[in-house]
Amino acid sequence: MFQRRRARILLVVVLLSALVLVTLDFRGEREGPLEGLREVATSVFRPVQDGVTILLSPVGDVADRVRELFAIRAENRELRERVEELEQRRSSMRDLARENDALRDLLEMRERTELETVAGRTVALAPSNFEWTITIDVGSDDGVDRDMPVIDGDGLVGRVIQVTPGAARVLLAIDPNFSAAARTATTGEIGSIDGRGGDPMLLSMLDTDATVEVGEEIVTSSFDGGVFPAGIPVGTVREVGEGDAGLSREVDVSPFVDFTRLDHVLVLRSTAVDELPPFEGTEGLDVRRPGADPDDGAETDEDDGPDEDDEGDGPDEDDEGDGEDADDEGDGEDPDDGEPDGNAGEEP
Amino acid sequence: MIARTLVVALLLVTALVLQTALFPAVTLFGFRPDLLLLIVIAVALHDGSMAGARVGAAAGLLVDLLVSQAPVGLSIVVYASLGHVIGLARPYLATDSVTAPLLLAFATGALGTAGYGLLTSLLADEPTTTGLLVRAALSVGLYNTLLAPLAYAVVGRLAGRFPLTGAPSRE
Repeated sequence: MFQRRRARILLVVVLLSALVLVTLDFRGEREGPLEGLREVATSVFRPVQDGVTILLSPVGDVADRVRELFAIRAENRELRERVEELEQRRSSMRDLARENDALRDLLEMRERTELETVAGRTVALAPSNFEWTITIDVGSDDGVDRDMPVIDGDGLVGRVIQVTPGAARVLLAIDPNFSAAARTATTGEIGSIDGRGGDPMLLSMLDTDATVEVGEEIVTSSFDGGVFPAGIPVGTVREVGEGDAGLSREVDVSPFVDFTRLDHVLVLRSTAVDELPPFEGTEGLDVRRPGADPDDGAETDEDDGPDEDDEGDGPDEDDEGDGEDADDEGDGEDPDDGEPDGNAGEEP
Repeated sequence: MIARTLVVALLLVTALVLQTALFPAVTLFGFRPDLLLLIVIAVALHDGSMAGARVGAAAGLLVDLLVSQAPVGLSIVVYASLGHVIGLARPYLATDSVTAPLLLAFATGALGTAGYGLLTSLLADEPTTTGLLVRAALSVGLYNTLLAPLAYAVVGRLAGRFPLTGAPSRE
């Protein structure tokens, strides 16, 4: 108890002394007696402080190094994150460059075909393993219709088989249900290109004796009334089958298009075979087209060759030309017969 | 008694030298520990309020004269008050436990720093923000907590060797 009281008294004395000191120092404004005391204490203590500082400076340096190490680690972590970020950005730049290339190819293809097109983007792939289709983000609202050909920068992609206002489904050229008229780019040999569910596609040459080289380019043909405009690249010949006794010769074709990486595509809105302009000087002639009004059929018969009545009579004068083409009648599928079909009625 | 006084004085000077020469290079969140306050608290815990107030006053005077630019007396107020209070509270503290002295070191470090900061901002021309006060108080409290075991051990050993004459029993 006595100790506590003494302690309390001591504390009061100490606090009062401190307050006096504070007041003195405060009033002295750096010139009072306490300032002198401070200077004396500092001058006595300074050498000790300096010596100890010099002695302990290596310890301080070590502490600095340790702190630096942590700072460097933090900086290193930050830089690594930055590098990762830049790597990701570079990857996305690569992706943009790739997409840019694809769009350039598409643009080039669009200019080459000189057809009215609608650009679309693949939004979905076929959910089935036995169906090779894609869904694109353009539909009837954009002017897309069934059977319109679809291409990309590399070549033939497929054709539209289903249309909704905002989307369309495209049957890919590798689907087994796909078929299109095709020809070899250099020799013009005609055939039919069919999907087989993957790479390669099958080209059935109509002429079994046709010469087809490996590596030769295959393009679409407007033959057969064509859904597809002529000249769209399809692929290259990978392997040529033996010409056997069959009706056609089978050729394996590697498609140009990578069907696993379809992104931007073009839907060709123009018709496959555009109507040709009339020849000069034929404006006055009465020209009939196939599928025209049946009432006018008698008149067109004369131009189209033999009618039913002609069959038993043998070739008449008009049929002389046909008689010369006796071989053609045998196969009945001579490309020369087929391709100008649409134009036959237009000849004067 | 004289030997003890000398030993305590030497201890305070050593602490002050370390605080001014070593710890500016080894800061925690940019703040130095308050070694002198740790010594004061350790002495108060060991020898009671009387010794706490005396050593606190001496430590405060040292700081005021050699370290601080604030008016002489402010550190004396803070250190002596804390030394006295801790000495008074000693019978109620479980000084033999591990956590109580550590918590005490943290609390006194934070309180002492905040109190000194407040006093200097009131009396000296040193404007201090609340954020700075809080950060300084917490950092010094934490640093003192880390150094407390060492300070308690040194003071305990010296006090055992140079016991205070007529020091009150802990019980």
